[in-house]
Amino acid sequence: MKGAYSRAHAVLMTAASAALLFSFLVYALYAANLMSFPYDYDQGEGFEVHDSVLFSRGQLPYRDTEIYPFYASNYPPLFHVMAAPFVWFFGPAYWYGRLLGFLGSLVSAAAIAYAVYRDGGRNRWIALLSGLAFLSSNFVYHIGPLFRQHTMMATFETLAVVMLAGAFPRHDKRAIAGGLFLLLCAGYTKQLAAISAIAAIAWMFIRQPRRAVRWSLGFALVGAGLFLWLNVASGGQWWRQAIIANVNVFIAEQAFGLFILWFKLHGFLLIPAALMFVYELYVDRLSLYGVWFAAASLFGGIASGAWGAGDSYFVTSVAALCILSGILFARLLAGVRVMPRRLLFISPARLSAIAMLAVPLLYLGYARATLKMPTDGAFSHIASALNIEGNVRENFYDSASFTVGGYARIGYPLTAEDWTAGAEIVRLITESDGAALSEEAGFTMAAGRDVITNPTQLRNLDRVGLFKGKELLGMIERRDFGIVILRALFYPPTVLQALDSHYELSHTVHMNGFDYNILYPKTQDSR
Amino acid sequence: MDGEEATVSKRQLGIALMLLGLLGFIAILAIDILDVGRQGGIGPAQRIALAVMAATALLGITLIPLGDAPA
Repeated sequence: MKGAYSRAHAVLMTAASAALLFSFLVYALYAANLMSFPYDYDQGEGFEVHDSVLFSRGQLPYRDTEIYPFYASNYPPLFHVMAAPFVWFFGPAYWYGRLLGFLGSLVSAAAIAYAVYRDGGRNRWIALLSGLAFLSSNFVYHIGPLFRQHTMMATFETLAVVMLAGAFPRHDKRAIAGGLFLLLCAGYTKQLAAISAIAAIAWMFIRQPRRAVRWSLGFALVGAGLFLWLNVASGGQWWRQAIIANVNVFIAEQAFGLFILWFKLHGFLLIPAALMFVYELYVDRLSLYGVWFAAASLFGGIASGAWGAGDSYFVTSVAALCILSGILFARLLAGVRVMPRRLLFISPARLSAIAMLAVPLLYLGYARATLKMPTDGAFSHIASALNIEGNVRENFYDSASFTVGGYARIGYPLTAEDWTAGAEIVRLITESDGAALSEEAGFTMAAGRDVITNPTQLRNLDRVGLFKGKELLGMIERRDFGIVILRALFYPPTVLQALDSHYELSHTVHMNGFDYNILYPKTQDSR
Repeated sequence: MDGEEATVSKRQLGIALMLLGLLGFIAILAIDILDVGRQGGIGPAQRIALAVMAATALLGITLIPLGDAPA
C-alpha cells in the first residue's frame, strides 16, 4: 500500500513540477521578449529609467516641479542607484532595469526554496516547487521583468525575512544585522516595505522583547539618518515628493476586487498557508513567516486599493504564502506531528499518506489557477490540449482575465508592430520643433530630447495642493512644445485643460495595446 | 537559546492585540469627532480600518485563554 502511495506521489510530483516549470518557461520567454524593447511596456517605466540617469550623474530626482523641466520622482533611490552603473556604460535604456527585476524575482524564488528546505525538514522537491510557485504567480509574472523597483523591494524583503527567521533565535548577531540591513534596503527601494519591517520587528519583539528593542533602536536610527540625509541633500524635496505626495486616493472596489482575485489565483496554496498561520497562532509558536504572511496579506492588500497601486502590492504576500505552505507540506510529508495530541483525530502516518497525494495535487491546481500563456505559434498545440484560447488578447490567455480594476493589463508578448509604432513616435518627436511633452519618457529619451515632467507625480502634488504649474502652463499657452504625446491623461486637470485649449489631436499611434495621441499646437485657424 | 530571555506569552499577545484593536477602533471613530470641518462621514478607508481593528481585538480575545504558552 505504501509503495502504491509512493509511486502515485512520484508521478503527481513530476506532473506538478512539469506544470510549474512550464509556467517558468512562459515567464522566461516573456522576460526575454520584453528585455530589449526600448519604450515603456508598463506606463511609468521610462521615468524610472530617467531616475537612474539622474543618479548616474550624481543628481537626486527629488526636485522642484515648478521649474523646468518640472520633473520629480516619488520613489526611494536604491533600485535606481543599482541601475546607475549601467547608465555609465550603456546610456539610458530599459533592458538592464528589466534584467535586474527579472533576476531579483529569481533570487526571491531561490530564497523561498532555501527557507522551505531549511525550515521544513530538508525536502528538496517541495522546496523547488515552492520557489517555482512564486514565479508562477500572475502578479509576479506581471511585474518581474519590468524596469520597476517593486520586484527588487520584494527580493530584499524575502532575503531579509529568511535571514532573520534563522538568525534571531540563534542570536547570530552578524546575520541579524544583515537581515535588518536588507530590510533597510527594501525600504529605500520602495516605501511599501515598511509593512515587512513592522512585521519583522513585531515578531522579534514577540520572541525576545528586550533584544528586539535594542536591535530595533539601531535599525530606526540608521533608517532615520538616511531619511534626514536625503531630505537635507534634496533641499526638503524628498519629504515633499516621496512622502507627502505619495499618499493617494483609496478605491475600495479596487482593493476588494484584487483581494478576491488574489484568493482565486493563489487559493490552492493560500488556504494551506492560512491554516499553517492559524496553527502557529493557537498551537505552536508564531514564525516570522506567519507574521509576515498575515501583515503582508492584510496591509499590502489594503494598500493595493490606492490609486496607482495594483496587483503587485500582493507580491510580498505571495512570497510569504509560498514559504508557509511549503513548510506545512514538507512537514506533513515527513510525518511530523503537526496537531496537538488532544486534537489528533488522525495519525501522523495516515496524514502523511494523504499528503503524498494531496500536496502535488494542490501544486497542480495552483499551476492551473495561475496559468497564463500565448495561444499561438509554438504554444498553439499546448493551448489546444489544455482547451484554452486567447481571452485577454487574441493570442494570449491569462487565467486572471483583465476584468479587475488595478490588475495590470499586460503580460502578452510584444510584436514587430509595437517596435515600429514606438519608432514612429520617436520619429515624430525628432521631426518636431521645440520641446516635446510626452506622457512616457522612453520616446523623448530615444529622440535625445529632455524628459519633461512626470505626469503622475504632478497629479499627486496637485491633489495635495503642492503644484501650481505657472511656468509649465505658460509654456503650454505659448505653444513652446512642438509635440505632445498623451496616453493615460495622468496630468493634473489644469495641465490637461491648457493642452486642450492650445493643442489639437493630429492622429493616434497604437502601440502595445494602448493608444498614443499625438497633439500639435493649434494654428490660428483652428483656435 | 530562546529560553535565555522571557518571551511574550499567548495571553500577553492576546491582551496586546485586544487593546490595540480597541484603541485603534476608538481612534478611527475619533477622527470624525475631532475633525469637525470634515465632510462626508465615515469613508471606505475608515470603514476598512474599523473592521481591521475590530478583527484584531477579537483575535486578541481568543488568544487570552491560551495562557502562558509562548506566542
